[in-house]
Amino acid sequence: MKTLRRQRALADYTLAALARRKVKNSALVGVFSLVVFLLASAMFFASALRHEADTALQGVPDLIVQHLSLGRQGMISEDRIAELESIRGVSKVRGRLWGYYYDRVVGANYTVMVPDGGAMPPPGQVIVGEGVLRARGLDWEGAPLFLSRKQGDLSRFDIAKTFDSDSALLTADLLLMNEADFRAFFSVPAGVYTDIAARVRNANELATIVDKATRIMPDERFVTRDDIARTYMKLFDWREGLMVALGAMAMLAFAIFAADKASGLSAEESREIGILKAIGWDTRDVIAMKLWEGGLVSIGAFLLGCVAAYAHVFWFGATLFAPVLKGWAVIYPDFPLAPVIDAAQLVTLFLLTVLPYAAATVVPVWRVASADPDAVMR
Amino acid sequence: MISLSDVSKTYNEGRPNAVTALHGVTLDIARTGVTVFMGPSGSGKTTLLSLVGCMARPTTGRITLDGEPVSGLPERFLTELRRVKFGFVFQRFNLIRGLSVLDNVMLPAAPSGEDPKAVQARAMMRLEALGLAEKALMPVEVLSGGETQRAAIARALVNDAPVLIADEPTANLDTALTHRFLDIVAGLRDAGKTVILTSHDPRIISASAVTAVVEMRDGQMVRGRG
Repeated sequence: MKTLRRQRALADYTLAALARRKVKNSALVGVFSLVVFLLASAMFFASALRHEADTALQGVPDLIVQHLSLGRQGMISEDRIAELESIRGVSKVRGRLWGYYYDRVVGANYTVMVPDGGAMPPPGQVIVGEGVLRARGLDWEGAPLFLSRKQGDLSRFDIAKTFDSDSALLTADLLLMNEADFRAFFSVPAGVYTDIAARVRNANELATIVDKATRIMPDERFVTRDDIARTYMKLFDWREGLMVALGAMAMLAFAIFAADKASGLSAEESREIGILKAIGWDTRDVIAMKLWEGGLVSIGAFLLGCVAAYAHVFWFGATLFAPVLKGWAVIYPDFPLAPVIDAAQLVTLFLLTVLPYAAATVVPVWRVASADPDAVMR
Repeated sequence: MISLSDVSKTYNEGRPNAVTALHGVTLDIARTGVTVFMGPSGSGKTTLLSLVGCMARPTTGRITLDGEPVSGLPERFLTELRRVKFGFVFQRFNLIRGLSVLDNVMLPAAPSGEDPKAVQARAMMRLEALGLAEKALMPVEVLSGGETQRAAIARALVNDAPVLIADEPTANLDTALTHRFLDIVAGLRDAGKTVILTSHDPRIISASAVTAVVEMRDGQMVRGRG
């Protein structure tokens, strides 16, 4: 009880002392929160992107077979489907049709696909991502989409449906077509596909299956889900690298700020500590009071920075970082990131900011407070 | 009884700027009286007051408080003594700016872990006795010189310390305020407190409330009266 009361009295004094220097302390909290805001925004953003990537990978087939011609991907024959199905452990083998369409009207690239089952649009109709509508300015309901492959050619498609923005990272530039429309639009003959996707019942058998398939189809390339995951991660790692650079700058600013704090106390602060010591405060009391001060400033700023970063990333779509981190394209996905917070990263950020600040506050105080208080008399 | 035996104090010892402020002072200070250390600037009276008030340790010699040696105690015990046994009024009063009068007066009790309501009640009682109750919630910067001094006295008394130590308490006060201060000192003496002051103010040295005067010069005690 006595200890609690002592801490309460010290905290009360600290609050009163902080209130005396409103401008200085507000500036301190402002700088501190800004550093936390930048770092936490980067962390939240990276976590959310990784989460999106993981979600995206869940829908990826276990194995994709591509035909290579002159070292580049070519169309693959549908005969390969039967050959792949003949390997034990392989299921749901299907040919996929997809490609890219460069829209000269707006200078954007669309990904055109024939959907697998469920969402197949009727002939003459397409399902589009919201980015396509935005790029084309098709704001009103029922507006047709005209696509041109060459000068003087124009194909009309009615929009059957639009993807909602929850899946925008994957669907912003997507255009889904009926198989017949796709083959007609891109002049793809019957009997060939862009690639072949397959499921493997037991993931442990994947390497053996790829081995067998390579022997049966030596001209084809086999891409596993792990290969795709690696590519995704490389992409994210590279973008995270940018964030690390930004984070390093923020940390450097913070280090300079903390070093300045650690380098000494103002004459007024030193005098105040002398007075407190002279009237009966122990060195421990002074340090405890300064820890309260450092704690209130740093934890307050940490919470402020984190909440601001959360709002920035998950409510305002990470406006500051999005152009760099989401990639370069005419069609930026417009989507709210699913709020994903990595507790371990938050704890790390807490340890990297709050603790050094508290230490930087305490060291000079300890130096002053451990001196004889009679200096205040002279 | 506060006793000093052959006490010396050297600041910055072992450095080129070392200064010996006190040379072999031997002195007994009676409890329940008012003792004044007098002398010109640089005579060592403030250093002597610091040593008596456990704010610094002597370089050589021994200080005892009611028979208990205090000069060799570790810092945390000295702090405890300062909080429990002594109340300090500094020459420039050293109230903490930006805080209210009441907050300032309650400060010495903060580390004691006492019930804040009891401390507040005691602080208000002190302020009332010194005629400052109505200014309790004002920031200390708005107080006049005399009020600031009384607030400093209230702070020195809030822990009910038996010894009040004041360094040049009337240096910045006019005659009326000096007499008011001497009345407060007389009241404290009558209440059984020990009051130790430094001063070169003749109004203080000749005051009837003063029971002993120690004259200092060049870090040495030249004369004692009472």
